Parts: sequence; structure tokens; C-alpha cells
Amino acid sequence: MTAQSGARRKWLDRYGSRLVQVAFVAAILLLWHLATTRWGVNKILLPSPLSVWQQFVDVIRKGEFLADLQITLMELAVAFVVATVSGTVVGYVISRSPYLIKVFEPLFAGIYSIPIILFLPLYVLFFGLGPASKIALGITISFFPVVLSTIAGFGNVDRVLVTAAKSMGASDWQLFRHVLVPAALPVVLSGLRMGFTIALLSIIGSETIASLAGLGHRIVNLAENMDMARMFAYIVFVIIIAVFLNTAVSALDARGKRQR
Amino acid sequence: MTQAATNTAISVRNVSHSFGEADEARHVKALLDTSLDVTRGELLCLIGPSGCGKSTLLNVMGGLIAPTTGTVMVGDKPVHGPMPNDIAFIFQENALFPWSTIHENMILGMSFQGVPKAERADRAQRALEAVGLDEFAGHYPSQLSGGMRQRAALARALSLETNILLMDEPFGALDEQTRMVLGEDLSVLLSRSKKTIVFVTHSLGEAVFLADRVAVFSARPGTIKEIITVDEPHPRKSAFMTSARFHQQRDQLYDLLHDEIRKSMAQSGKPKRAYEDQSSRAGPAA
Amino acid sequence: MKRYLLRHPGVARLGVILLMLIGWEIAARWFIDPMFISPPSRVLMALGSVFATPNVPAALRLTFFELAVAFALAVIIGVVLGLAVGLSKFGNKTFMPIVLLLYGIPQITILPIFILYFGIGPAAKIAFGVTHGMFPIIMAVVAGVQNIKPILLTSARSMGASNWQILRHVVYPNMIPSLFSGMRLGMTGVLLGVLLAELYVSTGGIGYFTSMFTQNFDPTKLLGLVGILAAMAIALNELVRRGETHFARWRD
Repeated sequence: MTAQSGARRKWLDRYGSRLVQVAFVAAILLLWHLATTRWGVNKILLPSPLSVWQQFVDVIRKGEFLADLQITLMELAVAFVVATVSGTVVGYVISRSPYLIKVFEPLFAGIYSIPIILFLPLYVLFFGLGPASKIALGITISFFPVVLSTIAGFGNVDRVLVTAAKSMGASDWQLFRHVLVPAALPVVLSGLRMGFTIALLSIIGSETIASLAGLGHRIVNLAENMDMARMFAYIVFVIIIAVFLNTAVSALDARGKRQR
Repeated sequence: MTQAATNTAISVRNVSHSFGEADEARHVKALLDTSLDVTRGELLCLIGPSGCGKSTLLNVMGGLIAPTTGTVMVGDKPVHGPMPNDIAFIFQENALFPWSTIHENMILGMSFQGVPKAERADRAQRALEAVGLDEFAGHYPSQLSGGMRQRAALARALSLETNILLMDEPFGALDEQTRMVLGEDLSVLLSRSKKTIVFVTHSLGEAVFLADRVAVFSARPGTIKEIITVDEPHPRKSAFMTSARFHQQRDQLYDLLHDEIRKSMAQSGKPKRAYEDQSSRAGPAA
Repeated sequence: MKRYLLRHPGVARLGVILLMLIGWEIAARWFIDPMFISPPSRVLMALGSVFATPNVPAALRLTFFELAVAFALAVIIGVVLGLAVGLSKFGNKTFMPIVLLLYGIPQITILPIFILYFGIGPAAKIAFGVTHGMFPIIMAVVAGVQNIKPILLTSARSMGASNWQILRHVVYPNMIPSLFSGMRLGMTGVLLGVLLAELYVSTGGIGYFTSMFTQNFDPTKLLGLVGILAAMAIALNELVRRGETHFARWRD
């Protein structure tokens, strides 16, 4: 093999993937554009990328999204905080006894495997169409990953670490603060991240299915009015918000794991 | 020349090997201008400090790695890739397929090699009997102990009925007592068959106990520093291990190795090679 | 009694479930407006009347059919795409980030588009179930193909295995347990996708009945219907989980 072809292969190794990725995204945008401008795909079915972009800019500039975003974020914040507090407290109490773990862990895991979104109609019946039903559903859904990971984190601390700390005379509080918490933290944080992600999903989901306000409701509203370009713009907006929130939470998770 | 051709199982000529491209940070010269003849029917041990290239040489011999320069001949055939009809491997790690039973593992190996279907079951049975595992044919590897797994790997290699066995620290992950027993078994096996075996090891005792000849490697970039002969017929008994001659040869080997281990540790002591530091400290202790 | 419970946590677990049901029964009978909740005993008695409601059995059958088709399609698409991405280093490096990106999108936001394109019938629900179920399967297949111990490939090669034999006897069996874990997650995704779409479309199918029962303040029938669907979900999950344990039995 000549030196030149070796260099080319190395270049391909390094940048080939990026190149294909960019080409892939560009091809999809191009197909989308051609479909709307040349091939006569109905605008109701597929608005042109340009009109979606204009609507997106309009939504951002007018700040029209603020009210819906505020409601969604409020629901998310309340649901996540309540689920986190209740999940970690219940999980910690259960994790202190191997017997309680055996009783409750399979129970929680079993319920967690059911698509809890099924219960949304019950929540709507009970709490109405407003934010309360979204918050309640969000709490229910994100409680389970939090409690399960808390049980797993605190229930599986290496016995040697506990024995070592006790042999050096650690008090109960010192044991909790300097051994149990740092040992359990990575698992618990993963559970919190998971809980956050599915709380966000279930809140947007229940707004889509049955609600009066919020980002999910806005998208459905635009769909019912056949305002497709604006609906696409909102979908893009919600995806950006969701990806941003999930990335932020993942970063916090990674940071917390580093700094324990 | 003709005599050498008939008596030599594997002939290694001026083999050098480097990992990574010359301009890369991870470029490592593993093996430097090594030549070696393995005689038919002998057990040759390769011993040396960690990272000296002894496993690399074994893989080059078996055609699993193409050397950067130099040639390897098995009999009168040049080696360009795996030679399943001439060479069987046994690795340190458990290389049995975990989703197959011991019996299925052996059948699969023979189907890879191209043994006719009708012969496979019979050969598997014989090989398992030879290592004393015939009652465990239906077990999965995860159901066996480490020592039994390595015996099963040996049986799989035997069932291929090659003239040459290449063994890369086959007992390295086992405890001392299991190793000793397996070493004795291997010596018995050797006395019965006419196989040529190349055996990489870290253990001085294992090398002296098993080998007809021991090739001692220098520190990296490795090459063969000296070859010593152990003149004791197989099968070797545990009495050999307590004899004065055993200890004398073990000490001789230790003298040869000592400086190389120091050199190797000095090499890996450089901060930019912190990772290898651990492996070389763990290595030559045995 | 105490010793018996200590030795059998499963019995204690049943006790906990029973206590919760009793608490629910008491609350629903005497403390909460029957417009909003119904005691479990009454829900159980009313299961017959749920099935007797015109078109409910047909809607349940249709949902089950959608789940089965969506799951089968998710597995097929997931395995094909997973192999396409996972079998080459380049494919993995290039397309895995795209798969991860798509997987990270909250798909619920594009549910209205699915309804728009596929109509309010089974097609939209199946499609939505497939897009939820296929990603975990793709990831599992890629992981299963990539996480082979290198020594197994080396060992097969040393015994003379051809590329096809390596694919068939090493790569494929190595992938199976991972594939089944992926199928379990895929089933969870399919259930979520299909049921979301079912609940969203309130003019037909399950969604019509849930919204009707909700508007009529009929918690008994609503609980009955939701309970039946939950039982269906549990049964399907359990089925796939059994498959998983069975096919991963060689793992240590």
C-alpha cells in the first residue's frame, strides 16, 4: 500500500462518517423540499420546509409559545419534585430492610412495566382536564424509576465499605453521609434522569390526549385547525425544548456522578 | 537442509512486528528480528517479561497476526493466515462458545475445520475421554469450573487432530494447584501423542516442568535471548518438581530473566505508559 | 404467622396488594363521590357489562391485533436495521448517532402527523406502535452484534471458520439474548405507542369508549376497560419476558 492511499484511508476513517451524516440530513431536507415544490405533495399533508421555518421564526419572535411553555414546565417541575422526594424517601426506607426489598421491589417493577398512560382517562375523570391531571399522572409515572433506582442504589452498597467505616468508628450520620450516599448516588441519579425524561413525555402526552393548555395541546389544536406549517414549527420547537432539557439533565447527572 | 525440513515443525525467520502505524502515539514495537525453529514433537515454552512479544510470536506462528516483516513456515507451507488443519489454539481466556454445550462446542469446532459429519461425534467423545470430561459433555461452559473449562478447550483442540498445538498461557487464569495438576496431565498427553506444542507462560516453574526447551525473551522490543534445554522424559512426575535439577534449572531461568524484567519495568515506569505499569507489576511475580 | 410471612415475602406482597384494594374499596364506598371512583368489587362485578357494551369486544380485539402486528413489524424492522447498522464499523459509527438522535425525540409530539397520514384507523396506531418499539430493538441488535468477546472471533478463525460460519455460529447466537432484552423493551414501546394513539383518537376504538365513560362519569366501566387493557399489557410483557429468560439461559 502506498503512503498516499494510506493517508486517504485515514482521512476517510476520520471524516467519512460525519460526511455521510451531513449528506443524510441534507438529502432528507432536499427530498422534503422537492416533494412540496416539484412533486406536488399536498400542502395540508406536508408544508414546505421554508414555510415551516417562517412559522418557527414567527412563533419565536412573537413569544406566543410562552404561556404554553410555562404551563408545561410548571407541570413538569411539580411532578418531578414530588416524584423525586416521595420516590427517594420511600425507596430509602425500603432499602434498609432486605425483607422489605423482597416484598416491594417486584411489586413496583411489575406496575412499572404496565403502560401507565392507560390510566390517564381515570386521572382526567378524577382531576379534570386542567394541569392537576397532568401533574398527577407525571408523578405516578416518574415515581417508579426513582423508587426502583433508590432501592437498587441503597440496597446494593458493598458490605465491605460499611464494615470498614464502622470499624473506623463512623456514626450513623457519618455512615449515611460518607458511605451510603456516595455509593448509591450514581444509581439514584440515573433513576432521577429516567424519571425526568418519562415525566416530560407523559406530561406532553397527556396534554396531547386530553387537556386545555400546554405545548402538547397547542400542537393538537393546530392539527385540528389544519394549520400545518405552524404545527410543524411547534413540533420542532417542542423537540428542541425536550432535547435541551434532557441534555441538561444528563449533564447534571454526569456531573453529580463525578463529584460525589 | 533436507534434514532440517523433516525435523522442523515451525520455522520462524527474521520476524518483526509493530502494532499501530509508525506515526501514531500508540505505536509499539513488539517483536524484533526473531528467528526460531520448533522441532517436531517437542514442547517449547516461550517465557519473558510482560509485553515482550511472546504472545505476538505465538499468534504470528498460527497465522492470526501477519508480521510486519519476516516469514513463518509450517512444514513446507508458508503461513499467511489461520491453518486449521495443522494448528490448533488454546487461549488463556475462556474461548468456548458460551451458548453451546461442551459437546456442541467440539462439533462446531470440527465443522469449522471441515471434519466430515459422520466422524465428529466419535472424535468428540474420544477427546473428552482423554481429558476426563466425558461425563460433562452436555454442560454449558458457565456450569463448569475454570479448570474444567480449560480442559474442555484442550479437548476441543485435540479433536481437531492437528500436529501442532499453540497454547497462550492456557493455565494463566487458574489457581496454582489446578495448574499443577493440569500440567501433569499435559505431560502425560505429550508422552502418548507426537504433538508439537508451543506454550507461552509467565511461570518459571511451569516452564521447567513442561518444556523440552525454554526460549527466554528479552524486554521489549522482544527477541529470543537464550534457549535452555530441559532434559527429562515425559510423562514428568511430581517428583521431578522437587528434584535438585528442577531447582537448578529454575534458578538458571530466573537469572536469565531477572535483568529483562527490571528493564521491562523501567520501560513501563515512564509516566506516559502508566497503563502498562500495572500489568507488568502483576506479571512476572510468578 | 410472623415467621411464615418473613420466610415468604411473596405472600406478604399479596397481602400488601390486598390491603391496597381494601383501602380503595373503603374509600370508594364511603368517602369519595361515586361520580369519580368506584370500589374494586363493583368494577369486578361490572366487567360483564363492559363486555356487553356494543362494540367494546370488537375494539379490544382490534387493539390486540394492532399490538401484535406492530410488535411483529417492530421486530422485523428493528432486526434488519440493527444488522445493517451493527455489522460494519462504518455503519455503526455513521448511523448510530442518527438512530440515537431519533430515539431521543419525544415521539408523542408527532402523533397528530401520524393520524393525518394514516387516518384514524388501525394503520396509524400500528405505525405509531412500530416507531416506539423498533428503536430499543435496533439498539439491542447493534449491541448484541458488537459486544462479542474478541477471543471468540479469534478462536473461530483459528479453527478455520468462514465469514458465513462466523456470522451464523458466533455473531448470531451471541446476539440472541440481547435481541430478547430488546424485544422486551420493544414490547413496552409498542404498548405505549399503540395505547397512546388509541387514547388520542376519541372517535373510534378504545379511545371512544374511554372518553365516553369519562364524560358520562361512569368510573365503574372506565376502570373495567382500563383494567382489561392493563391485564392485556401485563400478559404480553410476561410472554416476552419468558422468552428472554429462556433464550438467555446459557449466560452465567
